[in-house]
Amino acid sequence: MPEFEPRIVAFLCRWCAAAGADLAGTSRLQYPPNAIPIRVNCSGRVEPQWVVEALKAGADGVLIGGCHPGDCHYVVGNYKTRRRIYLLRRMLAEMGIEPERVRLEWISATEGARFAQVVSDFVAELKRLGPLHGNGGRG
Amino acid sequence: MKLAVYWTGSCGGCDVSFLELGMGLLEVLSRVEIVFWPALVDAKRRDLERLPARSVDVTLVNGVIRTAENKEMVEILREKSKFLGAYGACAHLGGIPALANQVNGVTEIVFGPGFRPGAPLGEAAEDAPPELLPEALSLDEVVPVDFVVPGCPPPAGLIARFFEAAFAEAISPGRIFAGEKALCEECPRTREDRRLTRIVRPHEVQPDPEKCLLDQGIICLGPVTRAGCGAACPKGGMPCTGCLGPTPKAGDPALAMLSALASLVRAGEEGESAFPEENKILDSLVDPIGTLYKYSFAKYGRPLLKLARKRQEVRA
Repeated sequence: MPEFEPRIVAFLCRWCAAAGADLAGTSRLQYPPNAIPIRVNCSGRVEPQWVVEALKAGADGVLIGGCHPGDCHYVVGNYKTRRRIYLLRRMLAEMGIEPERVRLEWISATEGARFAQVVSDFVAELKRLGPLHGNGGRG
Repeated sequence: MKLAVYWTGSCGGCDVSFLELGMGLLEVLSRVEIVFWPALVDAKRRDLERLPARSVDVTLVNGVIRTAENKEMVEILREKSKFLGAYGACAHLGGIPALANQVNGVTEIVFGPGFRPGAPLGEAAEDAPPELLPEALSLDEVVPVDFVVPGCPPPAGLIARFFEAAFAEAISPGRIFAGEKALCEECPRTREDRRLTRIVRPHEVQPDPEKCLLDQGIICLGPVTRAGCGAACPKGGMPCTGCLGPTPKAGDPALAMLSALASLVRAGEEGESAFPEENKILDSLVDPIGTLYKYSFAKYGRPLLKLARKRQEVRA
């Protein structure tokens, strides 16, 4: 059986994490291709319903990339998202879904290498957890 | 108008709620012919089975679908009815009984290991309790539902609105007899703080009678719940727990409320140093599923729960 390749939906803030992902690309950094990036205007725009929708629709994990504390383009968007994801993870755990499947990371526009590392780590962790969907998210 | 009212997994409060119409009930009763209503008139399943298909104008089902018998009965009612509606929060969204879905194998826990739902008790096989379904379901998971009269139980104003539409033969398919806007729109309490510095349960405080309950740290689901009851609970000093179901805009009421709640939490100046205190406030939300999905767990929690169950099976 081929190795399980997790599917990740990555919501990336355009001011930091998405730019960091671009930098990882233009720097020709090597990292696993498992994350499907969705650029959003702010990590604070990411609604818990989107995260859950992604999990329901076949993702094995969801990554939210936001600005480092103090750097939010909209001042407090990343703080709101931090609190939301904190509570969402608690609720997922109570339902029996590993909270590690939802990951919030601070990645600045200059941190291309960090973006690559975060994706690599997340893929490794999801491989350890196994597929969320019985069929490995395919179908 | 030929009317049927049936209860499935129900507390009986929905059947009683019609009395809320007061004198209006007399007019309703003068205009309906009750063909089946176990709480009110004696009729058995075989009487219902004898009715021709689509001979009942309107059927109201209250309660959650919990047993095989519940399922069979609503399937018969569906066949006999022109219009079939979910009446009350349980039929609409699963209601409080559906919170049991959180626990896998609930019958084993309650009745002991080896319990088989539907197993005959002694010799009297025909007296066997009906088989329990693996999970509690909202009505629309079992049969197509034409309309909803929501609430726990439905408030008088909405019941009246429903009968008005029914008598005028103007029940549009898919209609939910409640407001589209949030409950806050009809709540007389005033909103000031817009920040949550603590979370408390209703019994822990004596709330200020004028101020928004959410501002006072009491989890009130008004922002994500349909208007239509005149904000009866907040007026009485109790928070809205979401019985009328989510507004069309809210979507999943628990996740929408979780989002709103987390935005409001503050522990002093926002910033990295406040994170531990913010977490403490968020941790003090007792039973997030039971609080935020109080009535809607069967409907909205189901897809995630299914995933979790599958994971459990894979791991086992």
